[in-house]
Amino acid sequence: MFGHYDPLELIFFSICAVLAIGGALGTILFPNPIRGAMSLLFTIIAIAGMYLQLHAPFLAAIQLIVYAGAVVVLFLFVIMLIGPDSNPPHDGRGVVVRTIGAIAASLFVLQTILVLSHKAVGHLPVAQPGFGSVDAFGALLFTDWLVPFEVSSFLLMVSIIGAVAVARGKQPDPQAEPAKADEPPAAPKELGAATKALKVQTKTGAHA
Amino acid sequence: MSLWFALSPLLILSAGGLLLMLADAFSEKHTDLALGAFMTFASAGIFAVALWIMGGVPAEVAKLVAPWIVLDKFTLFFMATLCLGGALSSLLAGGYLPEHGLDRGEFYALMILSAIGGVLLVAAGDFLALFIGLETMSIGVYAMTSFRRTNPRSAEGGMKYYLLGSFAAAIMLYGFALMYGATGTTALAGIRDALASGSFGYARDPSRLTTVIIAMAMILVGLAFKISAVPFHMWTPDAYQGAPTPATAFMSVVVKAAAVATAMRVLLVAFGDKFSSSWGAGWPPVVAGLAVATMVVANLIAIRQENVKRMLAYSSIAHAGYLLIGLVAAWGHGDPSASRNGKAAILFYLLQYTVTQAGAFGALILCGSKGKEAVSYEDLAGLGRRNPAVALPFTLFLLSLAGIPPMSGFFGKLFIFQSAIEGGFTWLAVIGLLNSVLAAFYYLRVLVFLYMKEPQPGAVEAVPMKSGYVTAAMVLASALVLYFGLMPGRSLDMAISAAQSLM
Repeated sequence: MFGHYDPLELIFFSICAVLAIGGALGTILFPNPIRGAMSLLFTIIAIAGMYLQLHAPFLAAIQLIVYAGAVVVLFLFVIMLIGPDSNPPHDGRGVVVRTIGAIAASLFVLQTILVLSHKAVGHLPVAQPGFGSVDAFGALLFTDWLVPFEVSSFLLMVSIIGAVAVARGKQPDPQAEPAKADEPPAAPKELGAATKALKVQTKTGAHA
Repeated sequence: MSLWFALSPLLILSAGGLLLMLADAFSEKHTDLALGAFMTFASAGIFAVALWIMGGVPAEVAKLVAPWIVLDKFTLFFMATLCLGGALSSLLAGGYLPEHGLDRGEFYALMILSAIGGVLLVAAGDFLALFIGLETMSIGVYAMTSFRRTNPRSAEGGMKYYLLGSFAAAIMLYGFALMYGATGTTALAGIRDALASGSFGYARDPSRLTTVIIAMAMILVGLAFKISAVPFHMWTPDAYQGAPTPATAFMSVVVKAAAVATAMRVLLVAFGDKFSSSWGAGWPPVVAGLAVATMVVANLIAIRQENVKRMLAYSSIAHAGYLLIGLVAAWGHGDPSASRNGKAAILFYLLQYTVTQAGAFGALILCGSKGKEAVSYEDLAGLGRRNPAVALPFTLFLLSLAGIPPMSGFFGKLFIFQSAIEGGFTWLAVIGLLNSVLAAFYYLRVLVFLYMKEPQPGAVEAVPMKSGYVTAAMVLASALVLYFGLMPGRSLDMAISAAQSLM
């Protein structure tokens, strides 16, 4: 099965695989959310290692920068903001949710078996040498795809300004109260309930 | 013609947006940013019109940025329309924001950058550029919706819009990826060629066909969300109601026009081949179903609203339904004349809808002032007698929304229904017509309150605000509504010419 693999490659792959699966198990099994997030980090780094082995160094670097560098840090930020101990002590999922989860999981297993047993696996097209390298990617990005690359600066710009605008909007505005009192008493019911829920949330947020 | 001139509307918008932000940051005194934003939009729009008058962008210049940015007459038409909508919204913001204590300069920068996203979206000839444009436009609008974060309604609307919008964008992106997997390209024209070519072999490879259909469905979901067609409209009333009213006006004209234009480009260009646009297995029956559901559901809910802004939100969903009829007519069973008229009808409808809808929200702004806002129908009671100058433009825009001649809305609806009948969709035109009658009920109800009712004794009365900016917007929008209504010929010719360039 592993006949055409270099033994060194096999060892590297095994380390990555063990780390990835162990990290994934840790993510779902640790009751402490911070440990869960750190386990996720292991999975992500291990997958980056697998990309390296597949000769996709650029993908590996992006995996580290985006997932390990940004996504997991964001998770940790949120966990720290909420407080690491605020996880509910009991599992709130009911029978229905568990059943749906079990069905989804078995479908996934079935799909994996079907895909692996398909005769096309093993006859997949082979990428050309240099495909997915940093050089090839950079050349494409700064020649053919230059326009979308430049245009994405608008996207970054609007995200920055949007974040600032929303964050500044929190400053209490001295004249805001009378406007609120003027809202119609006969507001539709769903909205009223949602607004109340939001108010409660802000209150609890302030206490925490 | 140099590329600089060809891209001038886009460059003016970006320079204007950045300059306004710097002006806001470095000026110590109060600056009139609204005027700056208006000038930015107006000059970008004028440059787009100038490019049009010079006969459009020559092919050898346009190909420098193709397929990312397609500079055809269709794009120029929408650049001008979006800039018109942006200009009116920035005038409304100039009156609304200071009155309600929200006068922060980021609003104008967000509006302009969001409009840039809209222009890129309309011009995109490739799924990648399309997605960047879509996100640029949407993120700006999410931030504008939650601009008044201390208000729970604004926060709720912004949060809902952001979460659902991101979800819809992710579904759409998945569709793009599947389409790339099936055809090997992300360019719209390339996808059309791949789907139309015999070598693609629908018959020979059914699994590929399944991929194409799933991808098409996912892309349709994303587009329907942005157009706010039923059943993807859930965010619309809350976001429209929670957002500051100028942002609502911007969303309902600029975002809607850009989304409809994108839907036209994607469905009629990329999925314009014989198979994906067949009545049996393609997108037209789905769009027809969406159109019927959108019109019926939105109009029925709009009738039950007590809040005028929420009613206008549902009415904006209903108008998306009429536009979808136009989209089916623009396919027109592949008949070129019906197809051209259908496309032109959508373009004209969007042009007149931009001024009408922005005007209607502007009139609503003008009806109320700080602490005495016009929220429900009751608040408007008797305003027609107390303040005829405020009630008159409101009347004009509502009549236009209802489609009563000689307002522009009449011709907008007429062309749409006419092209539907020509394309062989008489039943759609009939449903649309019945819905227009239904819609007239809640538009005219506002007029009844304005002119024929007196406020309840002791009730809070809406006191109209005074603002030069909003008044200017009212004058501009009223003039255009009457112009499009009395002399639709010239703009319809432009719409036809733009429709012909879409391919």
